[in-house]
Amino acid sequence: MDLEKLRAAAGNVLSRDDIGYLIGWGVGSYGFRTAPLFLRDAGEVHRLTFSPLCGSNLAVFLTMEYDVAAPAKGAAAKERIAVMVKGCDSRAVVQQIVERGVDRERLFLVGCPCEGVVDPGKVEKKFPGTVEPVRAGWENGAVVFWTGGQKVTLPGEEVLSAGCLDCSHPNPVLADIMPCEEVKLRRLAAREDVSMFEQKSSADRWLYWKRIFNTCIRCYACRNACPLCYCSDCLLERLSPAWLFRSVNLSENAAFHLARAFHLAGRCVECGACERACPVEVPLMLLNRKLAREVYERYGFQPGLDPDSPPFQAAFRPDDSEEFIL
Amino acid sequence: MEERFEPNIVAFLCNWCSYAGADLAGTSRMQYPPNVHIVRVMCTGRINPLFVVNAFQQGADGVLVSGCHPGECHYREGNYHARRRFTLLRELLVFTGVDRRRFNMSWVSASEGAKWREVVREAVEMAREAGPFEQFRREMIGW
Repeated sequence: MDLEKLRAAAGNVLSRDDIGYLIGWGVGSYGFRTAPLFLRDAGEVHRLTFSPLCGSNLAVFLTMEYDVAAPAKGAAAKERIAVMVKGCDSRAVVQQIVERGVDRERLFLVGCPCEGVVDPGKVEKKFPGTVEPVRAGWENGAVVFWTGGQKVTLPGEEVLSAGCLDCSHPNPVLADIMPCEEVKLRRLAAREDVSMFEQKSSADRWLYWKRIFNTCIRCYACRNACPLCYCSDCLLERLSPAWLFRSVNLSENAAFHLARAFHLAGRCVECGACERACPVEVPLMLLNRKLAREVYERYGFQPGLDPDSPPFQAAFRPDDSEEFIL
Repeated sequence: MEERFEPNIVAFLCNWCSYAGADLAGTSRMQYPPNVHIVRVMCTGRINPLFVVNAFQQGADGVLVSGCHPGECHYREGNYHARRRFTLLRELLVFTGVDRRRFNMSWVSASEGAKWREVVREAVEMAREAGPFEQFRREMIGW
């Protein structure tokens, strides 16, 4: 990962006439955070960063932009938006294109091959109470942090998000430019959380989820961090009909989590942004991965790979499995 | 004598097949358990999976979705979409610890009154074995 190369490429992108602005990551204000950065001026590219701390999925901002009113008749074509995408982010963009949530013609993707992003929960345990902004990078497969004047090297397994350890697409699947070299696919740990969880008894599974659903504070950070939860009229906020009550209790929380997971069935690209955004560490990806696995095993479908594929839930095959039907 | 648990089953029936099938069972004077509460919808493809979740929240012990046989949808493909959807929803419910026997789907055509009777009997028996649903039932305080 050569940051200078990336910044130079971003500068070139911003000096093009058709590009309106670039969405990238900037240094955050404290600890292990990075902040989204919106740049219009090629002279400001030194503020860009890309590191294992860039866990947010910038594709969320594309669908917000798309909702702005169309220009008046005869106005110049809309500007294109450049956006920095990791491997998983690019899959989210592909899925947005499939669903026509964004217009491919208006996007310019700057691909950033990624070796995994940190899990905020894990780094907080390693470096408790860090307030000063930390720098981080990848080095020979390990993650390095510069904090308090020291350089700390930690193996990926100890700090990376669980989803990154068995990442299937570290390199962008769709990109207009790729300033840096591709990284090798390396599976640090096979993830068997779904099949292990399935081996528990039904009662034990509910005991687990009951505890989890009870901790959820329904802040909807998972929804806001998700690049594929972009309905402008979200059913969670509808009052008429009230699909869900707004009260925070076990029943409504359970319904919320079932609805959220189900709405991402066949759409979730497993970037893990929801889980990293969650303030109470709800294992949202466990539900998402369960459905992703069902979709793959039953229907052989993986979202976010082919911009020309039909959306999974809008398609069917006459010979789909139906073993549970009476 | 100990009283038998009588489950509440909410059944979402397609207007064109299963609803007519249930009607046929009635007009043919077939006896079947009175535990089902039928909600008529225009197509199984119209049933939002949240209907099922909401039914469980609001006191159902079991949910049954029934529509036209594959290939016979009045709207040509609604039941195919429903089949994918409810297969996934059922896996999701089971994954969170809801008893597998609580949620069922069936194909019942307008001429299959007898099949409807069997489907209801089976669904009621399964929900009875699973017992009262309390996992995420909505607590109605002050209602």
